[in-house]
Amino acid sequence: MVELRERAFVVMMYTVLVIFALVCFLPFWLVIINSFATETSIQTQGYQFFPRGFSLSAYEYLFSGKQLFSSYKVTLFVTTVGTLLAVLITATYAYTLSHPRVKYRNILSFLTYFTMLFGAGLVGFYMLIANWLGLKDSIWALILPYLLNPFYAFILVSFFRTLPFEMNEAATVDGANDLVIFFRIIWPISTPIIATVSLFYALSYWNDWWLSLLFVDNYKLHPLQMMIRQLMSNLNAKAYVAGSGTNYNIVVPTFGMQLAIVCVTIGPILFVYPFIQKYFVKGITIGAIKG
Amino acid sequence: MKWQRRFGRGVVAEFSKNRYLYLLALPGTLFLIVFAYIPMSAHLLAFKDFRLSDGLWGSKWVGFDNFRYFFSGNDWLRVTYNTLFLNGLFLVFGLGFAVMLAIFLSEVISPLFKRVAQSFVFLPYFISWIVISMMTQALFSTSEGIINKTLNSLGFEGVEWYLTPSVWPAILTIIYIWKFAGYNSIIFLAGITGISPEYYESAKLEGATRFQQMIYITLPLLRPIILLMLLLGVGRIFYGDFGMIYAIVGDIGVLYPTTDVIDTFAYRALRQLGNFSTSSAVVLYQSVMGLITVVIFNAIAKRIDTDSRLF
Repeated sequence: MVELRERAFVVMMYTVLVIFALVCFLPFWLVIINSFATETSIQTQGYQFFPRGFSLSAYEYLFSGKQLFSSYKVTLFVTTVGTLLAVLITATYAYTLSHPRVKYRNILSFLTYFTMLFGAGLVGFYMLIANWLGLKDSIWALILPYLLNPFYAFILVSFFRTLPFEMNEAATVDGANDLVIFFRIIWPISTPIIATVSLFYALSYWNDWWLSLLFVDNYKLHPLQMMIRQLMSNLNAKAYVAGSGTNYNIVVPTFGMQLAIVCVTIGPILFVYPFIQKYFVKGITIGAIKG
Repeated sequence: MKWQRRFGRGVVAEFSKNRYLYLLALPGTLFLIVFAYIPMSAHLLAFKDFRLSDGLWGSKWVGFDNFRYFFSGNDWLRVTYNTLFLNGLFLVFGLGFAVMLAIFLSEVISPLFKRVAQSFVFLPYFISWIVISMMTQALFSTSEGIINKTLNSLGFEGVEWYLTPSVWPAILTIIYIWKFAGYNSIIFLAGITGISPEYYESAKLEGATRFQQMIYITLPLLRPIILLMLLLGVGRIFYGDFGMIYAIVGDIGVLYPTTDVIDTFAYRALRQLGNFSTSSAVVLYQSVMGLITVVIFNAIAKRIDTDSRLF
């Protein structure tokens, strides 16, 4: 009896896992496979798990216009430059916060922590970027606001604290100043955690659309996520994708194009996902088991 | 005056002694001042009648008028209720499901099955809310959506999902679980890995079934982590996930009764109505309530369990 119940429980467990894993995966399948469906098939049959017609017209249309390339460039630039700057700023800042010789490290920690509790809110943030810094319709509005995430800073702080301080003292005795120590010793031995934090930053830059929604009206500066949003809401998808002055005499595959742009956007993530997954797991685990 | 001089000298001495370290922290400090502390001054707008031409400092003081305006209507009740209700659903069901997922995953013996399953459930975390909103439409769209097509083929009538407010708390909760269960389960899995195997061995000797081991060993030992995650969530309970709600529901007025949260309300006031002062009042209300909840729940956590407190 106990045996039977035990077995039934195990079966139930595996069933739940399999179903949930499928549920997590199916929307991806749906988007990818339907991006190759013909426009008429979507219009008459709706989105299907196995659409009948096959067509590349959505991709052809997407790649024929200028918008995709300019959006890709914006996203790549924002992600690369943003991540590099963010990691550099966060790591240097976190190192000082973790350094036992720094007398005011607790004040700095509190000032950092307080921003997580009491924010400036939307209005202050908007006014800062748009009115005071004058960054409306500037690519820097998509980069600067995310340069220091307190949470990632604290992940780095808790890592730096685990490093043996004697190493530091030995280097000081040898005549190295703190800049040299940080960049020559600390940075290289922290590569795994720095890689992890870089990935977190890269993901948030790649996926962000909030900043462009707030600050970017110029479609030439629309990142990929914003392009998806425009394609979902914009009635004049034709002019948006192709650029003004173009005149195509074909029917625009609206549905297909929405799905195709999603595939083009998540493609790189899905591609690198198997390689980077373990770093994310490490980062989450360290972040959760902080002091 | 003497202590001031001594204090000043102490500061100068500290800065010159560790000048390179402070130099390393300089960009980060500047960032916090410019992007976190300076914009806080905009909370003043909540007490002013803001005109762009007069600027933040030049605009006229109006005392609590903006708050009176905000609190006199029913909007504030609706958005507060929605924010708390939706976040409550996300917390309870989101964490509950993640705990279950972690326990189930930890029980899987085959490493290959575990790896594949974990990769799949973690995948949704990596895509943006915009992409998710695209997928949501593929499922729920009235004419092309899979769900309605399926209902139709089974002989039922389709539901106009995007015109039915009552279904959205459930849909949003499911989407939340979908996106974050894998991510959150990693935290709990790490906790389960930390449990000493001796507990399970002695339980097995006593004849405990797997289910009993879960209920009587794993869950109680996970309690501190669950409590910590709950506290983190409760601390943010006044903050709606703008990215999520605005991407998925957007500006569909029909759905406001159940989906309009403080953040989307403040956004509309600011961007669509251009009403800086109302928006500031809403945001200040949110920030203050958020701060109060964190402080209160941290105190409660300290009482219950000193290990679970946030600061």
